[in-house]
Amino acid sequence: MKMRLSLAIASLAILVVHGFVFYQQFFHKWESYQTSYFDQARTLAKTDAEREALAARSPKIEQIIVTQFGSTRVDRCTTCHIGSDDPRFKDAPHPYKAHPYSEALGDKEVGGKMERRHKFSDIGCTVCHDGQGRGLQEFYAHGEDEFWTEPMLGYVTQENWKPEYKEKLKGTEFMEANCAQCHTEKNFKSTPMVNKGRELFTAKNCYGCHRIEGISNGTLGPDLTDVGKKWNLNYLHESVVDPRANSATSFMPKFNLTDDEVKALVIFLKSRRGFNYAETTLDRYRATLNKSQPAVSDSPAPTTPVVADSVKLGEQLVNERACAACHKIGEKDGGIAPDISFEGLLKDDPWIVAHFKDPRSLVPDSIMPTFGFTDADYKSMSAYLGSLNKPPALGNAQEIYQNLCIRCHGDKGDGHGMIATYLDPYPRDFTNAGFMNSKPEDRFVNSIKNGVGGTSMPAWGKVLSDDQIKGVLAYIAENFTKEKRGEIRPRNVPEQNPVAMSIDSVARGESIYLTRCTGCHGRKADGKGANSLDILPRPRNLLNSTFVNQSTDRRLFESILYGVQGTAMPPWIDYGLTNNDVGDLVNFIRSLNQGKKDPAAMSLLVKGH
Amino acid sequence: MSEKKKNIFSFVTDMPAAMWSSVFRNNLPHTDLGRSKTSFNNFFLHIHPVKVHKHTLKPWFTMGLGLISLFLFLILVVTGVLLMFYYVPSTTQAYDRMLDLRGSVAFGVFLRNMHRWSAHGMVAAVFLHMCRVFFTGSYKKPREFNWVVGVILFLLTLFLSFTGYLLPWDQLAFWAITVGTAIAGYAPVFGEQIRFLLLGDTTVGQEALLRFYVLHVAVLPVIATTLIAIHFWRIRKDGGLSRPETADLVESGPVTATAEPAMAFADGINVIEKKRYGIQGLVRGPFAKVGNVPDNSVFSYPNLLLAELFVFIVTVLGVLLVSAFFNAPLEEAVNVLHPPNPAKAPWYFLGLQEMVSYSAFWGGVGIPAVEVLILLLVPYFDRGTEGVGRWFAKERLLANTLFMTFVVVNIVLIIVGTFFRGQNWEFASPF
Repeated sequence: MKMRLSLAIASLAILVVHGFVFYQQFFHKWESYQTSYFDQARTLAKTDAEREALAARSPKIEQIIVTQFGSTRVDRCTTCHIGSDDPRFKDAPHPYKAHPYSEALGDKEVGGKMERRHKFSDIGCTVCHDGQGRGLQEFYAHGEDEFWTEPMLGYVTQENWKPEYKEKLKGTEFMEANCAQCHTEKNFKSTPMVNKGRELFTAKNCYGCHRIEGISNGTLGPDLTDVGKKWNLNYLHESVVDPRANSATSFMPKFNLTDDEVKALVIFLKSRRGFNYAETTLDRYRATLNKSQPAVSDSPAPTTPVVADSVKLGEQLVNERACAACHKIGEKDGGIAPDISFEGLLKDDPWIVAHFKDPRSLVPDSIMPTFGFTDADYKSMSAYLGSLNKPPALGNAQEIYQNLCIRCHGDKGDGHGMIATYLDPYPRDFTNAGFMNSKPEDRFVNSIKNGVGGTSMPAWGKVLSDDQIKGVLAYIAENFTKEKRGEIRPRNVPEQNPVAMSIDSVARGESIYLTRCTGCHGRKADGKGANSLDILPRPRNLLNSTFVNQSTDRRLFESILYGVQGTAMPPWIDYGLTNNDVGDLVNFIRSLNQGKKDPAAMSLLVKGH
Repeated sequence: MSEKKKNIFSFVTDMPAAMWSSVFRNNLPHTDLGRSKTSFNNFFLHIHPVKVHKHTLKPWFTMGLGLISLFLFLILVVTGVLLMFYYVPSTTQAYDRMLDLRGSVAFGVFLRNMHRWSAHGMVAAVFLHMCRVFFTGSYKKPREFNWVVGVILFLLTLFLSFTGYLLPWDQLAFWAITVGTAIAGYAPVFGEQIRFLLLGDTTVGQEALLRFYVLHVAVLPVIATTLIAIHFWRIRKDGGLSRPETADLVESGPVTATAEPAMAFADGINVIEKKRYGIQGLVRGPFAKVGNVPDNSVFSYPNLLLAELFVFIVTVLGVLLVSAFFNAPLEEAVNVLHPPNPAKAPWYFLGLQEMVSYSAFWGGVGIPAVEVLILLLVPYFDRGTEGVGRWFAKERLLANTLFMTFVVVNIVLIIVGTFFRGQNWEFASPF
């Protein structure tokens, strides 16, 4: 009996759940919207026939199937927005409200009635608005579900978007990104934000690092050809204003952009979907045929020399190609890269040309992109930069520091200048007395006078006299280092490496390297070991040939055997390394830098990993 | 003839009864013979013995876990077939079909919910059923091979669930299967080949979707159905569910012929005297002799049937309730270039994935293979006959402790993998 009773109760419960489910599945919001629309339309109807027709209609799912635009779209938006094409409902509340007519959209008055340029029955809704055409619940249809990558552009922000971005990502102008799917003309008048974003892409030198098919050929950053298809507005916005938010190792600089510029860039990027509707498959095939000669239309094309003077032409190119988006040139300052206002005094012509062609051949960890300009252009630009040889106004040591050093080393002398995060190696921290007082003054004089190869420290020899250099050093010692310099104990290290260079020695050096050094200097010896991010100054990149080759054996021995004070480099003599071990290590490090990319030397390192 | 003439319309009035008896062969039973006939003559009921031991009906002995597994399987078959009407195993259409199911198909979202949650439920129920069988020592002679069949059914359940996981073709599906099949790739010697055989390609794509679909809707259900049939058939051939030795001891003394006969005066005929036993009397087991042993059995109809019906209704109710309030997940459409971090396998494989994070081979292949092998061989290692049919029998302390360790370790690994692993599989607190 007990069993029968519990069976009855359980069955009743099943019935109740069924009732709930049936209610859920059969009583839809859209049905009540449609019924209400029919009622309202009946009161507005002018003829009896119209009224009867309306009375005969019963709620059903409305849909527009669009096949012309990419993969087939099924837009059921009109199921709720059933009055969207009914001009009598132009002032009704949502969802009955009629879609407004707009001159900008090309709507025209024909015979006293407005006629749409973009007919809903042809193009549907999501082609312009985004959102989920198949959804019938507001939450899904409008794309509020965080898993829907295309919420309604300019209207809907998703819950997981950053709160501080949400307001900035609303507004009808965001829909221009979709207009540009068909209206691909460069200066289409109804998509001003896309046009502006496209201009900024060049003017802010985005093109230098990023590739967008048909626009630019940068290789340093991600390809943005279909970035609008992959990411939502939130992510695009974040990537522009805070590149490291999503990937901590990104070296994309934070550019100085106004809110409006960010918006234009985001809209432009959103409009890059790889494949737009204006393109035919034949166009795309042709583009692949012509890949050998990249059709780069937007990035500044080689300007025909309207100016005979190479320097003038160079100046024009440097301006057009937006070097000042990062560098400082006179008044213009991108706030990201070194000041090149008097480059002619710091670098010579061959260096500038070589650096243009491959910045990393001279400064291995530079973030400056390799631009694919022609040799002739490089020559002109280099000639222009070389002509910038008017020394800056200098005064006393403090003013010299303020004018020349502060950009990298910072106003507190702690190495955190405005562009420091973009430099690798990081600028020297003068407040680190442990380091500053462990090296002889000669070395600092030399670094200032001749620069430090393989880093961003230029040679100031043509700008500053020896006395001025001494003055600056004294200023640094007094204001930043502060601690008094004691006598430096000379270390007992060989001047020349006592171990002869040999394959055996390099192999021994490698095995010592792998057991002792990889934690900081990395398995690739590029200074990016597991601990490197926690350390300032960062571990040296031992593949920085310019730097390594200018360092004497004595300096390498001293740094390894006795450590580098004020840094994480320990004195390895305390950990049992002998002169011979260090000799092997030095041979190993030298072998990595013999010739630019000596395959034999590299293979020694790479083998077995 | 003369009787029939009385009513010319008798063929009409007799029709329901005639149809009933042609279909069901006998009326609703009121006698013991009728009850046994009902079980015996009905195709769907004849899988039951005519009588079952009282011990079998004790709710806390089995907790109905095997039945729950079966009923979930049936729900899965029904909802699965209905879902098949809407599903297309194509990378371009599958996800859109999911959106349609959620958006515009009547009961679409509900069917999907039921299918999804029943599948998860079945993995859990089958596992718990296995635990029940172990802790009651029910895999011992003569039920060794049925345990083996059960272990295979458990693996099939996992594989069925796993193959179904890919079909929505969303990010969750794609990356879970990518992770899952990568684990298969760690197998020695043939790992890559197994992976290729599963995927039909080097990555998860259209071929994989089609293969998983065919496996999920045709191959595996057929194998599972066959094995389930064998599993049930063997339960009967092995003498019903296990029960303790004490279940049939008569406290009042030695067995005598005066004990209550099993099937006495059915339909007013003394069955014992007639001694007409059907072939069903040959069922193996100590209690095949009818009528002259102490009998602790009751008729399957209605006792067992009602119990089964109750389990069925409770199972359906549970699935309905969960499905009414929790939607099956549907994430972004597949984006091959953007793996979620972390990419997680389905929850029942997260224990594996957790182990894989320590060692690809041992975690993904070595240890699971050893575990399955040990499970398969358990009844052949543990041959003692003591402690059968009782939960956590003292005589089986060692075996139960070992198995409990296995269960707890796996559950802990799954919990760690599910809740305590964040980006890059680093430890993350869910609180």
